[in-house]
Amino acid sequence: MDHLSMNRRMALGAIAGAFGMTLIPALARAADPTTSELGFKPVKNVFTPAQRAFVAAYSERIVPTTDTPGAIAAGVPSYIEMMLGDWFTGTERADFIKGIDAVEAHAKTTRKKSFVKLKPALQDEVITEVMNGKVPGAGTDFFYASRQLVVSGYYSSEIGMTVERVYLPVPGRYDGDYKYEGRVFNG
Amino acid sequence: MQDASYEFDAIVIGSGVSGGWAAKELTEKGMKVLMLDRGYMVEHGDYPGEGKGAWELPFRGQTQKAVVESDYFKAKFGGADGSDKTHYFNNDRLNPYAYDEGKDFRWVRPAIVGGKSILWGRVSLRWNATDFEANKKDGNGNDWPIRYEDIAPWYDYVESYAGIAGNKDGLDELPDGQFQPPHPMNAAERWVQGQFKSNVPGRHFIHNRVANMTEDKPEQGRSRCQSRSQCARGCSFGAYFSTQAVTLPAARATGNLTLVPDAVVTSLEYDEAKKRVTGVRVIDANTKEAKIYRSRIVFLCASTLASVQILLNSRAEGRSDSFANQSGTLGRYVMDHIFRVSISGEVPGFSDLIEYGRRPGGIYIPRFRNLRADQKDEVDFLRGYGYQGGAGRGPKWPEGFGADMKQELREYGPWRMGMMAFGECLPYRDNTLTLSPTKVDRYGVPLAVFNVTFHDNEYKMMADAKQEGIRMLTAAGLKNVKAEQREHVPGDAIHEMGGARMGHSPQDSVVNKWSQAHDAPNLFITDGAQMASTSCVNPSITFMALTARAADYAVKQVQANVI
Repeated sequence: MDHLSMNRRMALGAIAGAFGMTLIPALARAADPTTSELGFKPVKNVFTPAQRAFVAAYSERIVPTTDTPGAIAAGVPSYIEMMLGDWFTGTERADFIKGIDAVEAHAKTTRKKSFVKLKPALQDEVITEVMNGKVPGAGTDFFYASRQLVVSGYYSSEIGMTVERVYLPVPGRYDGDYKYEGRVFNG
Repeated sequence: MQDASYEFDAIVIGSGVSGGWAAKELTEKGMKVLMLDRGYMVEHGDYPGEGKGAWELPFRGQTQKAVVESDYFKAKFGGADGSDKTHYFNNDRLNPYAYDEGKDFRWVRPAIVGGKSILWGRVSLRWNATDFEANKKDGNGNDWPIRYEDIAPWYDYVESYAGIAGNKDGLDELPDGQFQPPHPMNAAERWVQGQFKSNVPGRHFIHNRVANMTEDKPEQGRSRCQSRSQCARGCSFGAYFSTQAVTLPAARATGNLTLVPDAVVTSLEYDEAKKRVTGVRVIDANTKEAKIYRSRIVFLCASTLASVQILLNSRAEGRSDSFANQSGTLGRYVMDHIFRVSISGEVPGFSDLIEYGRRPGGIYIPRFRNLRADQKDEVDFLRGYGYQGGAGRGPKWPEGFGADMKQELREYGPWRMGMMAFGECLPYRDNTLTLSPTKVDRYGVPLAVFNVTFHDNEYKMMADAKQEGIRMLTAAGLKNVKAEQREHVPGDAIHEMGGARMGHSPQDSVVNKWSQAHDAPNLFITDGAQMASTSCVNPSITFMALTARAADYAVKQVQANVI
């Protein structure tokens, strides 16, 4: 499923970021998910309700809520549905959905529960098995493609760019000797 | 100066780097000018992608694959797949060239007034003295009828106005210009520069020179660069040189400019008896209405390949060949820089430092091959190449998933230095742009056919650039040095030049030393089409200088009533 991988620059936001804790109002605004714009209008539904719930739960384990919001708060599940519906080709979309269904089937077979009903630790076990190529129909390539979509969606979202990372839309100057302060700049 | 027998004193075809300068210079010298462009109007400040975060852009900044493959399959090589700027590029389906005739070629075209001046890479390097002598010296192409001294004052002139940031390095191979202070090197680059001084003798690691200002120009309403690195979306600060920010406001301020966008120039009307271009034939892109505009002089600045296409399609009454092809050189000697060699390596140390802000230009390594007669390089090719690049740090790219991955994505990987070679392509008679005998576009213009290939000299140069790049970065102490040489399709560098070359006589060239057509003294071709060779440096600043020089000459000729 190599064709599903997007370029790394998109996944990471602008590589050459810079930051400072100068954007507190933006951070505060972005931290409130009710004010955040997703930047797109979902055009078509791609998932069944069950698949949609799966994608939300799965995304949240890839980029969980920690001291900053996770994938669900950042709108990643809707982003993935939008990208699959309107960006990728029909074959890519079908391959991806097959992968989702295979992981769900694996959860039901091995843990006797739907993926979304599993405790986070068990969900992580299932995802680890996908990553290690142990899940029939959802191999390592599905893991990387799905991870890529979640990471891309998260780090290009308003929350990803302004809360998780430090958003510098207009740095105003360049300093190539800036002391690293624990976060990544983007803009 | 206005002559009542013409609607305009001058028509400028095209509004990019060259057309913008032609309009500015001619209007400021009192001419009534009509500027035509096939693109749609984009006003300064009206830049749809500017200032937006990825989440505010369609598809987070990446235009849908299906749209790119159907409509921007050539333009994507110039960045049209970025949804922050797709709207600035030519629709390759609606405005094709002959993709299935000739040889593979990538013609990346803009779709807007301002042309590639909005989208360009902004690197602004002067040609050196040997660049103008090379054709004569090694017998490839024809001798340039001008030398460095002829263009030097015009470099001064356009650099001062455009605003070029660069360091004065005192190198013959890359002459200094009228510079604002350079964009600073970062910690890693300064270290590499020091390593070059001690471990890589004879090779210079210097600041790149870019048309992104480091000082304000309040008299032009322009601010210095804000380190956003969103240049190609358009810059309301006017921090980099573009038609919209620089030459168009100047031309408009004179009150002498009429600008007509959506005007597709199909050909020039030519009077064989008078040896003059008598009109410019235009089709309105929206209404398809055909028109002819008339003026005393014409500046053809439609961009290298479009200008050649227009010339090829311009014939005198009853003739089968272009009026501008008495020499037999029109559409020949089409060139592009070599481009697809890149080298990278890790810079050890500086792990506590990162970059604040995103710089528009990094570093440059000027040409070092075949520079001096006494040089014993023993390379098996002619001329040379330079590198441009820079050092930076990206976030780490961890394995796995979950909270640990998220935490690791807050950290930066090592400093990496990357650079890419740009090299000179020799002028070859058999590298051509011709017109399709059978296919026309929706305006009735025969499609352009490309037969442009790189030859032995270019491939040897690429191999050397790869090898020397590895050698230099390794000698400088970088780790994990890697090189890549990808397939290079001509056009890739978007530095297309030639096709209506400058020369000494009507027998060997299309234009004379003033960029003036031998076969029509009231026609000036001042964009990349006039280039008789390419040097290895980025070409736009040279087009600017040659255009300003030609405009100065043209106005004097008009005033003296010679043309």
